[in-house]
Amino acid sequence: MLRETKFLLSLWKTNLLSALEYRAAFLAQSIGMMLNNAVYFVFWVIFFDRFKELRGWQLSDMFLVFGVAAGAFGLTSLLFGNTFTLSEIIAGGRLDYYLSLPRPVLLHVIASRSVASGLGDFTYGILSYLASGLYSWSGLARFFFGVILACVAFTAFNILVHSLTFWLGNASGFAGLAVNAMLSFALYPVSLFEGAAKFILFTIIPAALMGAIPAEFVRRFDWATLGELTLGAGLLLALAIFVFYRGLRRYESGSAIQTEV
Amino acid sequence: MISRMKAFRKYCAIFKIQVINSLAYPAELLWRSLAIVLFLWIFAQLWRITYAAAGKEIIEGLTLQDTLWYFMLAETIELSRPRLARLISDSVKDGSIAYLLNKPYNFLLYHLSTSLGESFFRWILNALFGGVIVWLLVGPPPDPRGWPMALIAILGAMLLHFCFSALIGLAAFVVEEIAPFEWIYQKIIFILGGLLIPLDFLPQWLQSIAKSLPFSYMLYGPARLFVTPDLGRFTALLAGQLTWLALFGGVLALVYARGARHLAINGG
Repeated sequence: MLRETKFLLSLWKTNLLSALEYRAAFLAQSIGMMLNNAVYFVFWVIFFDRFKELRGWQLSDMFLVFGVAAGAFGLTSLLFGNTFTLSEIIAGGRLDYYLSLPRPVLLHVIASRSVASGLGDFTYGILSYLASGLYSWSGLARFFFGVILACVAFTAFNILVHSLTFWLGNASGFAGLAVNAMLSFALYPVSLFEGAAKFILFTIIPAALMGAIPAEFVRRFDWATLGELTLGAGLLLALAIFVFYRGLRRYESGSAIQTEV
Repeated sequence: MISRMKAFRKYCAIFKIQVINSLAYPAELLWRSLAIVLFLWIFAQLWRITYAAAGKEIIEGLTLQDTLWYFMLAETIELSRPRLARLISDSVKDGSIAYLLNKPYNFLLYHLSTSLGESFFRWILNALFGGVIVWLLVGPPPDPRGWPMALIAILGAMLLHFCFSALIGLAAFVVEEIAPFEWIYQKIIFILGGLLIPLDFLPQWLQSIAKSLPFSYMLYGPARLFVTPDLGRFTALLAGQLTWLALFGGVLALVYARGARHLAINGG
């Protein structure tokens, strides 16, 4: 466990140093992504200015949900950037490189790339939380904890859907749609959805684990909410790892020569 | 006249090749087209609750049915656009633009033809899936007699989009990374173009600003015309689109000429 932690930290350090080689591009992407998120959020400012509330949800609630979801997305992009391209890696036979090395394949694959704009998303998440007006020191601690668990859930979901490539061929189109669905549902008030739709948000497309539940945990500490979030993220991660390694048994090596720098 | 006809046929051929090319991966096309179903379903939940909470059947001249059909067309236009800025900037950054510059066609018209070709089937599938889901949710579409006007407006919108996307792509001559410009442009379209909320629902002061900018002619204009077809609205929209096209088309041509000259001098 300690060895793999050291390995992970080395990967992250390498990714960061690599990104900092092109400092201007790195900063441009980070700041650009923050502006991107801020402009997108203007929709909610306009909406709540016009319509005041939405089934009990107000602007401060949207700041919180956005903060958690953006923070989780940013953390996934920064630390596990290859999560978003896992199906292309599998379909392109590019797992060969990782299979030949004495490290856990899944961890190595997903952590060997960092998306620079993730820093913008993560930073925006923190600013969004601070702007919610629900700020407190204990809340900030719960925010970071909630973001980490939401990141685990989002990363696990990505691994799960992209791993379907082992059975379906290139599942990048389907995976893209599923991830889009998770993000979209996470960024809208959960009170919009009822019945079967709500059930889906807590199970098949667990967007609630990325938005509403961590946001509720940040708002106030509650053992039940913490348990729900931890159990949900843990189960999803376990399932994702199981599906990936199960699929890996079906993997066939490609003939392309591949270099990884 | 004859040479112009030959040139037109040339770009038509490029368009046709790209249309066929876009069908190379039908599963990919299908999955991408399902995204509109997801977005429209979420919008339906949001606006159904909003209308119910407001206790009104009509808000700023739009019923819930109008609003959903508005979003259907706006989303169809937005989701059908290819990632032209990224394509052009990648070709500038990796130098492959040099291979296009010495071909017997205009670089910009080539990309216009390919982007229209790539959008063709995306547009059809998005409109089909989007239309079905909205019909199931809120009922039939607006009067079909307005559709020809909407189609012309959509073409104008796509040409305007092309100008902006190409300008962002050509920024690669100057900046290292164009992605931030792409993201911010997209989000400005979402708000000031009326993708996330019809401009009629904005505060009056913001409405005036949004309607005077080119972004409203890319999404809001065609979508609003679609749900409330009106000859006066169509004429005003067309005039606005042509004015902005003349301006940004000219800017694009200038920027390209300057960039290509610069590239030729340094590339040899």
